[in-house]
Amino acid sequence: MKIVKLPKENLAKFVSSLSSFGQIHAPVKRGEKSLAFGPVSDFAQIQLNYTRTILPLKKYFFKPIDTMFNFSAEKGYELPMEEPEQRNVFFGVHPCDIHGLKILDLVFSGRYVDNYYFARRNNAAIIGLDCIPDEFCFCRSTGTDFVDSGFDLFLSDIDESYLVRVGTSLGDDMVKATESLFRDIEKQDREKYKGKSIEKRESFQIQIQLQDLPGIMDLEYDSPIWEELGQDCLSCGTCSMVCPTCYCYAVFDELDLDASSGRRMRRWDSCLFKDYALVAGGHNFRAERSSRVKNRFFHKQRGFVSQYGRPSCVGCGRCKAYCPAGIDIVEVINKLRSEIRV
Amino acid sequence: MGKPKVGIYGLTGCAGDQLAILNCEDELLDIAGALDIKSFPMAMSGGDENCPLDIVFVDGAVVQPKDEELLKRLRERATLLVAIGTCAVWGGLPAMKSEIAREELKRKVYGRAGKIFDTTAPQHLSRFVKVDLSISGCPIEKEQLLQSVASLLHGDLPRLPNYAVCTECKMAEYPCVLLEKGQLCLGPITVAGCKARCPSYGQPCIGCRGPVEEANVSSEVRVLKEKGFTWFDIQNRLRTFAAPADCFEDKIFKEGANA
Repeated sequence: MKIVKLPKENLAKFVSSLSSFGQIHAPVKRGEKSLAFGPVSDFAQIQLNYTRTILPLKKYFFKPIDTMFNFSAEKGYELPMEEPEQRNVFFGVHPCDIHGLKILDLVFSGRYVDNYYFARRNNAAIIGLDCIPDEFCFCRSTGTDFVDSGFDLFLSDIDESYLVRVGTSLGDDMVKATESLFRDIEKQDREKYKGKSIEKRESFQIQIQLQDLPGIMDLEYDSPIWEELGQDCLSCGTCSMVCPTCYCYAVFDELDLDASSGRRMRRWDSCLFKDYALVAGGHNFRAERSSRVKNRFFHKQRGFVSQYGRPSCVGCGRCKAYCPAGIDIVEVINKLRSEIRV
Repeated sequence: MGKPKVGIYGLTGCAGDQLAILNCEDELLDIAGALDIKSFPMAMSGGDENCPLDIVFVDGAVVQPKDEELLKRLRERATLLVAIGTCAVWGGLPAMKSEIAREELKRKVYGRAGKIFDTTAPQHLSRFVKVDLSISGCPIEKEQLLQSVASLLHGDLPRLPNYAVCTECKMAEYPCVLLEKGQLCLGPITVAGCKARCPSYGQPCIGCRGPVEEANVSSEVRVLKEKGFTWFDIQNRLRTFAAPADCFEDKIFKEGANA
């Protein structure tokens, strides 16, 4: 992997130069305290020291509401108007969110490839940025605090400069387009980077063990904890919306007033909704809220492991940070494990 | 099916949901073209008050004996009865003080003039007749109305959201007014469909669309109390738009007051 150095005073120039590769999107302020990825025209808008955006990057590729096709009695089925083929350059993506995208890539490229997702995903450049964990982050425990692939460029703070790892040929093009801004790596940079890596590893306030959790969850399938969570959970759907790896959607039709034309739509769904597991005949195999909360934890931490070899949780902390009822995934896992040193 | 014969009526309320139909300005000609509107007393004179109807839209709550009579007559005339607006679906604003005896309220509000009319504790339509479709909202959302009309024309019932305002709020990536601003927000227990209009302006959801299916009111009350809101304020907000809803039954209010 090619690795170079970008002095911090050159960052603004470099980011501005990225506009020749596509529309730049980066974390910007949303309200007083929140952040969101959004289009950026001025480097000064970018919040370099952010911890998390409300929504992960999935909103760009797997949209909250999307038209799948148009239909009419006359024309049959028609794909929606294609979006202009402009590349989006995402600057400042944290490791957990890059891992989130890698998991979505895996899911949406399965037996039935989701072309809606990949049409946008394949046209995205990812420029990662390292971060310092806050009181909600537990990506160290999910093994997603660092990334070795899934980015075009990845910037790590080494005080006066960024160490820049080049992940793809597109990333290399970006560096070459502004080669004069970059420097070669020297010995002290290597040591600094390794020191920062240890520093980050040691700065986590939360550590949980996910290894052997699938087995423990099976043992605790009938634990009273699910009933307790069912009483607290509001079924508001927040955790599913903000999760980088929740990918369920519901399909519905929107009709025009002529009642013979319309659009087939899909929108983000949540397994916490009462009608998620509602089937024909009015039967609901997860009618109780407690069984729905249990299902969400089981799918993330147990079912996904069986299917893909790892949990789908990336430790971003969003579900905990944004749950109105204060449901805390870390506390739930520690309770399931009967951890005494918490 | 030819053009369905339709009636649009109001019981006691502000008639805002009938007005929302008239406010579909760009689509009004399409609506009028697709439906055979037999009677719409608010918008036209000379309606047919006796013919059978395929669909009747009813807004307002049952607050007076004559509301109940009209509602039952409409039910007999119509194949499908659609409740429009939070008053028709949940009792709405008229029902917010139903814990106080009706005579006492009447005396306080109208004095001697109150003697000339009868009033009962406000109730939503489904307490009296079978309701085939409920479109809540104060007022109803134009998009939901149009989708519902289109589905009914297709011989189907629409798929309206039955998830909470929080879901739409997060989909639009609005900062959480409950967690970030500490406001008394009913988003977690209120049914979506408004695209989180109030949070989009940094304002809390006041529950105008009524409760979502299986609303977890106990947990919402606990959350709001932990945020430091008084039971007085919480109770007032919960009762504002949908006091007669089952999820706001007395038990919740007794628990809330004692906790």
